[in-house]
Amino acid sequence: MVQAQRRLKPRATGGGHARRRSLLIFLIPALALYSVFIVYPLISALEYSFYSWTGTRRGGFAGLSNFHDLLTKYPLSEQVWRALGHNCLFFVGTMLIQTIAGLTFAVLLHKSRRGKRFLQTAFTLPHLVSPIVVGYLWSLMLNPQFGAVNAALRGVGLGSLAQPWRGDPHLALPVAIVVNAWQWIGFPMLLFAAALAGIPEEYEQAARCDGASSWQVFRRVTFPLLTPVLGIVSVLTFIGNFNVLDLIYALQGSQGNPTFSTDVLGLLFYRTAFDNPDANAIGQSSALAVCMFVLIFGVSIAANRFFRRMEDRLR
Amino acid sequence: MRKYCTLVAALSLALALPACAPSAQSSGGKVHLTVLSWRPEDTAGYKKIFAPYEKSHPKVTIDFKPIKSTEYLTVLPTELKKSQGGPDVVQLKPYGPLQSYVTSGDLEPLDGKVDVSNWPANVLQAAKGKQDGKLYGVPYALQTLQVLYNKKIFAQQNLQPPTTWAEFTAACDKLKKAGITPMATSGLQPWVLAIDHQIFGATRYGGDDFEKAVLTGKKNFTDPDYTASLDTTAKLRQYFPDKVTAVDYPDAQTLFTSGKAAMYPGGSYEVGPFTKSTPDLQIGFFDAPPAPGATVNHPLTSGYVDGSYGVNAHSDHRAEATDLVKWMATPEFGQLYASTLKQISLVPGTTPGDPLLAQAYQNYKDHGATYMMVVDFGYGNPLGRDQEGQALQKMLAGGSAADAGRFVQKGISAWFKPNGG
Repeated sequence: MVQAQRRLKPRATGGGHARRRSLLIFLIPALALYSVFIVYPLISALEYSFYSWTGTRRGGFAGLSNFHDLLTKYPLSEQVWRALGHNCLFFVGTMLIQTIAGLTFAVLLHKSRRGKRFLQTAFTLPHLVSPIVVGYLWSLMLNPQFGAVNAALRGVGLGSLAQPWRGDPHLALPVAIVVNAWQWIGFPMLLFAAALAGIPEEYEQAARCDGASSWQVFRRVTFPLLTPVLGIVSVLTFIGNFNVLDLIYALQGSQGNPTFSTDVLGLLFYRTAFDNPDANAIGQSSALAVCMFVLIFGVSIAANRFFRRMEDRLR
Repeated sequence: MRKYCTLVAALSLALALPACAPSAQSSGGKVHLTVLSWRPEDTAGYKKIFAPYEKSHPKVTIDFKPIKSTEYLTVLPTELKKSQGGPDVVQLKPYGPLQSYVTSGDLEPLDGKVDVSNWPANVLQAAKGKQDGKLYGVPYALQTLQVLYNKKIFAQQNLQPPTTWAEFTAACDKLKKAGITPMATSGLQPWVLAIDHQIFGATRYGGDDFEKAVLTGKKNFTDPDYTASLDTTAKLRQYFPDKVTAVDYPDAQTLFTSGKAAMYPGGSYEVGPFTKSTPDLQIGFFDAPPAPGATVNHPLTSGYVDGSYGVNAHSDHRAEATDLVKWMATPEFGQLYASTLKQISLVPGTTPGDPLLAQAYQNYKDHGATYMMVVDFGYGNPLGRDQEGQALQKMLAGGSAADAGRFVQKGISAWFKPNGG
């Protein structure tokens, strides 16, 4: 409650007018960039999506017909839902691996004294590499002919487990999820580690005095206090995973090979915009972009609210 | 979202600030023409090709401006939309993918301006507007599809290029027994599988007769001859590399050039890069023999036009650009192009710049067929080539040929309406 009041009432400072002006001056460059590169394209994409196009020439106002096309015109009608489904699986899979592994690593590292810095850096390293490069490197490692993964399996006598990792429609998406989680695992780990460091030791000691086991301490004391971080991780992972393009493009090409089994909304947008023999490519792709934005924005806001409420319950 | 927004922003900026860097300037009475292309690897070659033109047209200089092929189609629309300073001559995709530029009005019609009177109609189709029937480009190269083979491996295994299907499968079996992958191909890329199907399945479904029957609505892709041809291709899996569904296009190329695979079903466009990357690789080729149950009883060499060069309708130097494109329809350019870049030029009266390609071209003239999924069924979304490739991927994953045929039919009929009957 005290905190909330503090948040609402900024400390009064003298010379508010001049201060506001200098703030504005500092904000203008960022605001200008933001408007040109974010706000303007957003609005123009919204505008584009309501017109019919022939190539790059804008035709008449088309109302919602581009959106109608997305939902009813084969193959788009099929691809949109399939891609959305894959995005959901991609998010859920990544979230599960990333959160469980990230949290485990963070807790283990929190307790360990030796090699902490080194391991933290090592786990975070893939995070610093571009997803395009990560995708390319993994595509080499997963190569059925020359790749390291199958060679290693054969080397230890597990040759029967060697798979066409990127070529089997049932395996391709799980493989992409694992690669994605591998790349981003350091991010939740760092956030969890920071949050763990912020939990006073007295809490654990008090719980121990009450006779709590290690698991009970984690489950009842530590984990609930990590809820805010879990919220941030979830929302950011959601945004990142629903916009994913580069990693899957590098791993499976623009068509989400094989048989669209790794197709996601980002790839579908790319294909609809730039690799689409339909004359109305701009209209359809803008409509898709608008839908993606509405979905991602809406869910992010809802999730934020949800986690806020959970946090408030903690207080 | 932010990624696309930035992209759209970049596009919008390009639209809003068109005249920042005019590339076509007239300085000192000289006209500077920009040729936009997706072939960075051909830059030196084009410089050589354009040299005689610059000599005979002292007032014109030509700047060959290549853009990475994977990015070309995202760049071309904005380049063509520039009201000033855009490219003058642009390389254009053939058939369907050309159409959106035609309907946007970004290309200059060339009818009556270039002399293509003795060119075959099926070649010009690649550069024509589907709706208005006007010519928007001068086609530059023909690609033929056949089976390339490693001559050294064939000699070592005492094999001859097969002339019957039985000889072909016997050769494959022998190679397999010797521990050599009979054929390198990519099961991961739908377009590669579609090429495989055209090479091995064309005789089975009936070549151009079947194509015409579909175009006129007498048959469709659920036809038993067509699904049998898909089956013929999918059954070759036993001769493809291990785990072919995960083999990518560059992997397939490497398997062949490194001598791990003896054959490579592919386009004539592979010959140049293969010999360049592996100079001691001796390549031969043969047409796939008629498949079992084939409705055409002789081999077919399938072919299609690779693309064309057209004139930007917003160019500041349309007259000079049209002159250049006009020259691209002459035997002088055709021969220079064929010899310098080792391609099959489409200008009548020219000979390909490589004995192997000369033979492929002759075969095409003798018993050519249309690569129908690119030529006729590439005008809508989904492209026939992609849909057929996906259908084959489904078969490689265990699907039936009948389902694959229905899948192809469903895709093509989403935009294709047969005419006549």
